[in-house]
Amino acid sequence: MTTLLYNHPVCMEHDMGYGHPECPDRLVAIYGALKQPAFAALQWREAPAATLEQLTRVHPQRYLDRIMAAVPKDGLRALDGDTALCPSSGEAALRAAGAACAAVDEIMAGEADNAFCAVRPPGHHAEPGRAMGFCVFNNVAVGAVHARKVYGLDRVAIIDFDVHHGNGTQAVFEHQPEYMYLSSHQSPLYPGTGRSSERGVGNIVNLPLPPYSGSEEIRNGWATLLAPALRAFRPDFIFISAGFDAHRLDPLAQLSFTEEDYAWLTREILAIAAEFSKGRVVSTLEGGYSLSALAASVAVHVKALMEAPALAAQAAARIA
Amino acid sequence: MYEFLKYTVKDAMTPSPLTTTPDTLLRELEKIFETHDFNGIPVLNHEGRLVGMVTKYDLLKAFIFTPDSPIPRYGLIMDRPASSVMSLDPVTVNPDMPLSRLLQELVELQTKSFPVVENGRLVGIISREDVLKALRRTTAA
Ligand SMILES: [Zn+2]
Repeated sequence: MTTLLYNHPVCMEHDMGYGHPECPDRLVAIYGALKQPAFAALQWREAPAATLEQLTRVHPQRYLDRIMAAVPKDGLRALDGDTALCPSSGEAALRAAGAACAAVDEIMAGEADNAFCAVRPPGHHAEPGRAMGFCVFNNVAVGAVHARKVYGLDRVAIIDFDVHHGNGTQAVFEHQPEYMYLSSHQSPLYPGTGRSSERGVGNIVNLPLPPYSGSEEIRNGWATLLAPALRAFRPDFIFISAGFDAHRLDPLAQLSFTEEDYAWLTREILAIAAEFSKGRVVSTLEGGYSLSALAASVAVHVKALMEAPALAAQAAARIA
Repeated sequence: MYEFLKYTVKDAMTPSPLTTTPDTLLRELEKIFETHDFNGIPVLNHEGRLVGMVTKYDLLKAFIFTPDSPIPRYGLIMDRPASSVMSLDPVTVNPDMPLSRLLQELVELQTKSFPVVENGRLVGIISREDVLKALRRTTAA
């Protein structure tokens, strides 16, 4: 069985201006790592553009119209102080959201076990009607709703280990008990949401971590808060908002995760996916702004995804 | 041996220090800090009254990450006025304060320098370095 890797050249053309940390080189670094022989078994797929139907399940039509109309013929068009569109950004954003939906389709068709979407712009800050924090469409939310609406799944979970809280994803799902959103993030930090007291309809689980938290804090938080909540939810499908900016080398925050923490977290998520979700996992790229740390962290994350079926089989054999 | 006890702030301070105004931009302040090795600069209003003190620490603090934005707006922050970062009502000292007392305050408040005020007017600034110099002078063998 198979791990899919979604990408598209236009995702590297989305460029928010000289020096912006959410830059095309992030994907160059990631592809560099994933082209190594150890990843030969990865199946590369071109990310299709999300359809209007897929997008309007999360974003109002008038928001989509406004974004597409804002795509400039040349130069940059600012959406907020940190987020901008260049001429390629519209198509990149469509394909970033489309990747998650296509990955769901392939996995539900039994063509693959899991998938990683190496796409940009990222998505978890995008609210239904508002682009912010480098995000235009909420890719992971579009994928999650696609999984439930098209395949009739009862419960879909999203785990977000980006260093920033996914205010957009939380806003999409906080009134919908069919979805669970679980996030670990630094606090205080942008965007300021994600307090433990924000619980939605019992389907939002926030783990704010103080600056300088590292392996011990995230592993404890996972074991005592996030994993028990996720298990109790019994997800039919798991999405990962995979941001790697909690790494100790990242310049945009002050947490101290290492590659090994990302490998560990990924395996933990995969174990729960094997137990409840038939191993179905779609992971989509969010942040991560140290190019070397990003490449190394994505590598161990994707490696864990590729090894998931073997690990699950071993676990099953042990139980039998 | 006990020479230091005879010193007052007036004996060790830098008189007529460089000052700045509340509307001075942070990028100009940064240049001042670069050319002169001051820890802090007194801020005087247009009437010449001391209204604040701005330090390198205050300048740095303007650039930390906040929940408002994923990236501090470095360029825009440089265009903010000194009044947006200065500490208001700074602790001031009198020129006739014994230097031994001032040393005590420097240590306890972990402040690097104090504006020296007499009859409501700024007359000097006294820093850690000034006190160290006085110590050296009064304990020279
Ligand atoms: Zn982030």
